[in-house]
Amino acid sequence: MLAGPPSSTLYRKVVCVDLDDDSPPTDAAAALRLIQHQRSATARRLDPDARLLYWPWGVAWLVGFGLFFLRFSPGDRALVPLPSWLPLTVLFVLLASAGAIQAVVSVRAYGQVTGESAQRGRWYGYAWALGSVSVYAGLGRISEHLPHDLAALLWSATAVGLTGALHMAGGAVWLDQDLFRLGVWISVINVIGAIAGPGWHPLVVAVAGGGGILVAGALARRRQRQRQQP
Amino acid sequence: MTELDPVIHAQARLRVVASLSALNVGDKIAFPRLQELLAMTAGNLSVHLRKLEDAGYVEISKTHRGRTPATLVGLSRRGRLAFEEYTESIRALLDPAQSKEQP
Repeated sequence: MLAGPPSSTLYRKVVCVDLDDDSPPTDAAAALRLIQHQRSATARRLDPDARLLYWPWGVAWLVGFGLFFLRFSPGDRALVPLPSWLPLTVLFVLLASAGAIQAVVSVRAYGQVTGESAQRGRWYGYAWALGSVSVYAGLGRISEHLPHDLAALLWSATAVGLTGALHMAGGAVWLDQDLFRLGVWISVINVIGAIAGPGWHPLVVAVAGGGGILVAGALARRRQRQRQQP
Repeated sequence: MTELDPVIHAQARLRVVASLSALNVGDKIAFPRLQELLAMTAGNLSVHLRKLEDAGYVEISKTHRGRTPATLVGLSRRGRLAFEEYTESIRALLDPAQSKEQP
């Protein structure tokens, strides 16, 4: 198997390689096993568990928007008499935690890998940051002139809409169908919530949006496991 | 019998190339991280990387991250092709009938 190819240039290369230092795999089956094992081991180490990337956001939406629905319920009522500052505070704390978890998990997995993937990730991150700032700057000016329930709907529908669009864009960047489908789902339920109106929107986002993220995370994890199978 | 690329047809270098092939095209990995993934000593990995670099299969670049120098390693286009051809030959050896269907 180790005989040099007939071409003389390639033959010379064979001579340069010191064959004693590194023995060939015992047979073809061993070579294939080695390839598959090494590739899947590397992929497992470089690909963070999809659940850690999805589920914290799903929990944040489920709990955060859920509390919002219970406190600022349809028809200007409060289904549960919570302090008015609580829902938004919990939502922001949970969203910040999800962001922190994502950052830590990503750095641990991709931190030592540079190149095109890192560039995509960086630009995608900028899109989130700058996109959010530019959208909310306008909203801040408008919402102060709106009654509380409409202002809340405007904020959450815009935030959820932006999230849906950016998930679809992320799916396009990485050709990741789980991410793209989640973006479509979030966009659709956002429309439904907006039509349902103030008070109902957070319920739709909590149950269908948060639940959708949890399901997407489970699906992404399943696909990941299939891919990493040696 | 199919000729197998002698640069890759060696256990340690095959592991190096197989690991690097799991990176996305156009990506490079820091030397210490690769060393950790492969559980090789730095000296051992350096020797194999030099051979792979001599064959034009890996690209090694030195850069700075802040003040610390960093060595980045990635598979070249040629290296990825050689690895794919090698894998294909191995599959062909194992199952000549199916090798055409499984790229």
